[in-house]
Amino acid sequence: MMKKVVEAVLLLFFTVHAKGIRYSLPGKPTLTSCRSPEKETFTCWWEPGSDGGLPTTYALYYRKESSETVHECPDYHTAGENSCFFNKNDTSIWVNYNITVVATNALGSTFSDPVDIDVVYIVKPNPPEKVTVTVMENTGWPFLRVSWEPPHKADTRSGWITLIYELRVKLEGEDEWEMHLAGQQKMFNIFSLRSGGTYLVQVRCKPDHGFWSEWSSTSYTKVPDYFHREKSVWIL
Amino acid sequence: LYMVAACSAVPISDLLDRASQRSDKLHSLSTTLTQELDSRFPPIGRAIMPRPSMCHTSSLQTPNDKDQALQVSEAELLSLARSLLQAWVDPLVVLSISANTLPHPAQNNISNKIQELQEHSKSLGEGLDILSGKMGPLAQTISLLPYTGGNDIGQDKISKLTNFHFLLSCFRRDSHKIDSFLKVLRCRAAKMQPEMC
Repeated sequence: MMKKVVEAVLLLFFTVHAKGIRYSLPGKPTLTSCRSPEKETFTCWWEPGSDGGLPTTYALYYRKESSETVHECPDYHTAGENSCFFNKNDTSIWVNYNITVVATNALGSTFSDPVDIDVVYIVKPNPPEKVTVTVMENTGWPFLRVSWEPPHKADTRSGWITLIYELRVKLEGEDEWEMHLAGQQKMFNIFSLRSGGTYLVQVRCKPDHGFWSEWSSTSYTKVPDYFHREKSVWIL
Repeated sequence: LYMVAACSAVPISDLLDRASQRSDKLHSLSTTLTQELDSRFPPIGRAIMPRPSMCHTSSLQTPNDKDQALQVSEAELLSLARSLLQAWVDPLVVLSISANTLPHPAQNNISNKIQELQEHSKSLGEGLDILSGKMGPLAQTISLLPYTGGNDIGQDKISKLTNFHFLLSCFRRDSHKIDSFLKVLRCRAAKMQPEMC
């Protein structure tokens, strides 16, 4: 083992001279964020530091509150590059995780600053799904009915997570969105539409304690031309 | 007694709905308070702050994930929520007294919020007492989790702030547990109202 290290260092020494490049320890990696979409699993991401000019590998280690055992990240693949995914079996709540990322190259290792997280404080759900916008009519006046479903991963049925929703609407070509808070409802009606206008609608959700999701992708809906009817009402 | 008589007509699902609104508010308040303290927390405080496993309520066995929580019976979930809330009656008094002399620029604000915390916690406790009366003997069982920290949270500025912060972060975790248990209970009781859950 020792001999191998010596060989590696010698090899390194010669390569340094051969190419005239300075090699160094890896730069310090940074744990950038951790997020749980549903209070049942979570993911942490990190940003690598400089690689010191050598092939560098990264490992994430964690220790759970009131345990001395250090574990390595159970899954580096599911959430993409520079990330660690904790599935249901590896996720506890109301327990602090002390997390550190270690960057290693042939010259040694550099540790990130450790981060303490409790999964209940990092909940940010996925956006609402199946957002549908329908033009409805009420005694001759059209209105939009927006309905949606909670993100499928969030278990709202058991009460494990409670979501409130917000939607925003704007006429195509305008700058300002109009915001509406829908509470726990999964449906919202929008009145006072402009005849013939195309409306853009997006919905997002927030857990009882946590962060707003991203907005859902935009739903476009054209309101039929009802100006002639509107006008005749005005004349009457 | 009048209150109990008046409430006996209210369905359990409504009582749970009100209770979880209270617990929601309780936890939100504790989060606001923690953030307020965080903003002026001395870096050394972070290093010397006791671990969460040192909280006086950490000996209570509670579920640690969804699967565990959903397996716990209604009566037991309520019993856990009540035990946790009961365990905070004394330390909340300590927090309230210490807040009056807390060496923090937002001392006044923090003091008022702790008062609010106490009031919410008291009224939630009364609500849960009524609920437990309706849910049978197991729901009425309370695990005692005595607070042995005493009334004095520290002499110097750093230890005052650190211990205050520590107690509050324990409360924050416990209020999140209480809120989560009550919301699971609310959904079990509200099977007839698919809109809610």
